[in-house]
Amino acid sequence: MPRNQGSREGSPFTGLGPVFLKELSDHLSSTRMMVLTLFVIVFGALPVGFTLQEIRTVTASDQFLFLRIFTVEPERMPLSFVVALNFMIPLMAIGLGFDSVNSEFNRRTLSRVLSQPLYRDALLLGKFLGGLATLAVALMALFLIVFGAGLLLLGLPPRGPEVARGIAFLLVAIAYGGVWLAVAMLFSVIFRSTATSALCALGLWLFFFILWPMIASAITTGFTPAQFRSVDEVLTLEQFSSALARLSPGTLFGEAVLGLLNPETKAFGYFANLVMAQTRGMIPGTPLPLDQSLLLIWPQITGLIAGMIVLFAIAYIVFQREEVRA
Amino acid sequence: MVMLSKKTQGSKMRRLIALLALVATPTLAALPVLAADPPAAPAVKGLWLLTDYPSQTVRPGEVANIRFKLQNAGLVPETLALSVDGVPAGWKADVLGGGQPVAAAMPGINESTSLTLRVDVPKDAKPGSQTITVQAKGANQSIDLPVTLTIGTEAPAKLTLKARLPSLMGTPRSAYEYTLAVSNDSGKDLTVAMSAQAPANFQTSFTEGYGTNEISSIPIEAGQSKDIKVKVTPPRDVKAGNYPVLVKVAAEGATADQRVTLQISGQGRLALSAKDGRLSGEAQVGKTSDYTLVVSNDGTAPLEEVELSGSVPTNWKVEFNPKTIPSVAPNEKKEVQVAVTPSDKTIAGDYVASFRANAKGESSNADFRITVTTSTLWGIVGVGIIAVALLVLLGAVARFGRR
Repeated sequence: MPRNQGSREGSPFTGLGPVFLKELSDHLSSTRMMVLTLFVIVFGALPVGFTLQEIRTVTASDQFLFLRIFTVEPERMPLSFVVALNFMIPLMAIGLGFDSVNSEFNRRTLSRVLSQPLYRDALLLGKFLGGLATLAVALMALFLIVFGAGLLLLGLPPRGPEVARGIAFLLVAIAYGGVWLAVAMLFSVIFRSTATSALCALGLWLFFFILWPMIASAITTGFTPAQFRSVDEVLTLEQFSSALARLSPGTLFGEAVLGLLNPETKAFGYFANLVMAQTRGMIPGTPLPLDQSLLLIWPQITGLIAGMIVLFAIAYIVFQREEVRA
Repeated sequence: MVMLSKKTQGSKMRRLIALLALVATPTLAALPVLAADPPAAPAVKGLWLLTDYPSQTVRPGEVANIRFKLQNAGLVPETLALSVDGVPAGWKADVLGGGQPVAAAMPGINESTSLTLRVDVPKDAKPGSQTITVQAKGANQSIDLPVTLTIGTEAPAKLTLKARLPSLMGTPRSAYEYTLAVSNDSGKDLTVAMSAQAPANFQTSFTEGYGTNEISSIPIEAGQSKDIKVKVTPPRDVKAGNYPVLVKVAAEGATADQRVTLQISGQGRLALSAKDGRLSGEAQVGKTSDYTLVVSNDGTAPLEEVELSGSVPTNWKVEFNPKTIPSVAPNEKKEVQVAVTPSDKTIAGDYVASFRANAKGESSNADFRITVTTSTLWGIVGVGIIAVALLVLLGAVARFGRR
């Protein structure tokens, strides 16, 4: 593009700040954001309430009692807080991002914005970061509410490692939200119609949550031999099955959270844990230190962050090549 | 039919025997006839009162039990009234049969009835001899048994104690059991109390010959002997050497003792621990970690050829340096380096490695808790992947950016 050569001057991110702040303030004051936050908080508060009631009746000493608030599945509700989040964060991110670009286009404000001295780079990145910051604020609020409720109802302060794990959990949750935000923005860039982009993003979300586990298990069944000859064969199949499942960001988030909030987690997958503990001389039930837990879930975290960046990069490339004048 | 044939057979046999007897008579007639009388018939017939010691010594204030028998040889049994004559004033004499006072006895043919003459000697009995006559009286016969009791100083209670094997050898952990025979050489039943004098921290216990109950005294009848067992347990940390134990028995002023000896040879005792007492360590996946173990000998004899081994989780490697220690003297400590390599596929967590030291008959093991950490290499790879993603983004910005 030789004709553009002259205009490629200065930082591509000039004007990023104003776009980011405007986007953030728009989100935070919007009714949609209020509804979404309320939705998520209600969905999160219910399991936490039940879980807290259950934990209060438990007398056994637990080194990581505070973290159990997040992970224990209450009897009255087949849903723990993290599972609820696994489900809700994508919805929130899609809600925030599905119309970020195409609504501006439809309202014919895009060309007006771009006539300002700022590049498209800054616009898209500003919108993305604004959405991410909004998500972060909402998740932080939710997280603090849960921690506060835990403090109030359990009456004991969390220990240092528990706080550290909680904060790491928050960061992973934000990264997970970022992936779905990037997906929603990609669709909002591709499709001019907001309804189509919302439908596509929600469709992808449903696909990963409902269809993908079935497809993955069907594929795994296809590869299952008629008879297992060794433990290693079982483990290999298990690894293959988890590799398939990990294509879904929900699985990555679930495993990362499991590793963080369940310090006893040393391997993922039922058989892996069983085999490691029984045949390889491991002492079961011992917690891992935080750094080892982080190393364990590092691939998952890497996958989430890298996926977020790559998805954003694709959205960016599509957006840059698009005709925005209308 | 069968009966009939047997009968006829029997009569045939009888006839045959008669025939044979007829033929044999001239030869047999020359021999004396042997089968005429019953074989065990005693030469004498009669009734007797018998005792082993018809003249005894008694002490004033004591009870003398004199055993005697009423023997019937070849007579028709009859009731024999028993009575005691010649009992001095103040004395009391009873005939006891089966522990009860009896007034009559009836021994069968060629049998005897055991009886006891119980004489209560008063405290103020004067020295001298007294004759008490026991009389058994039947319908047409009467027999007497005069028993002479001499008041005087009776032979004092006397005990003897003898060990079968007075000296035993072993290690500090062996069981030292001595069998001792206690005999009551006096004329009366005694309850014998036992005690043992052993070096400090040695434990002793007494049991009856083949019994398991611990006892402190044992009744022994007059003239009898009983086996008792002394079990001596030396303390574990006893030095090699000879240790005497004096076993004493005592009853009514009589004592006897016997010295038994424990010849304790030294024994090595192996102990395995970590150098600073910490039985845990850290290791990285696929990398060798060294720990220092200490082999010590808390025993009293040197340990030879101490061999070290370890059991670690599957596919782990464990190496000892040195693998064997030629000798560990008592109270000596020797360090051993152990190199543990977790396998490449190990996942982070806590594992148990069990180390073991073996010498002849001695072993000791130490469970080591190894915390395995994974390498941070993959963490760096993860950061690299994120960096690549960012580079892609920056490439896209450079290629398509600033529009």
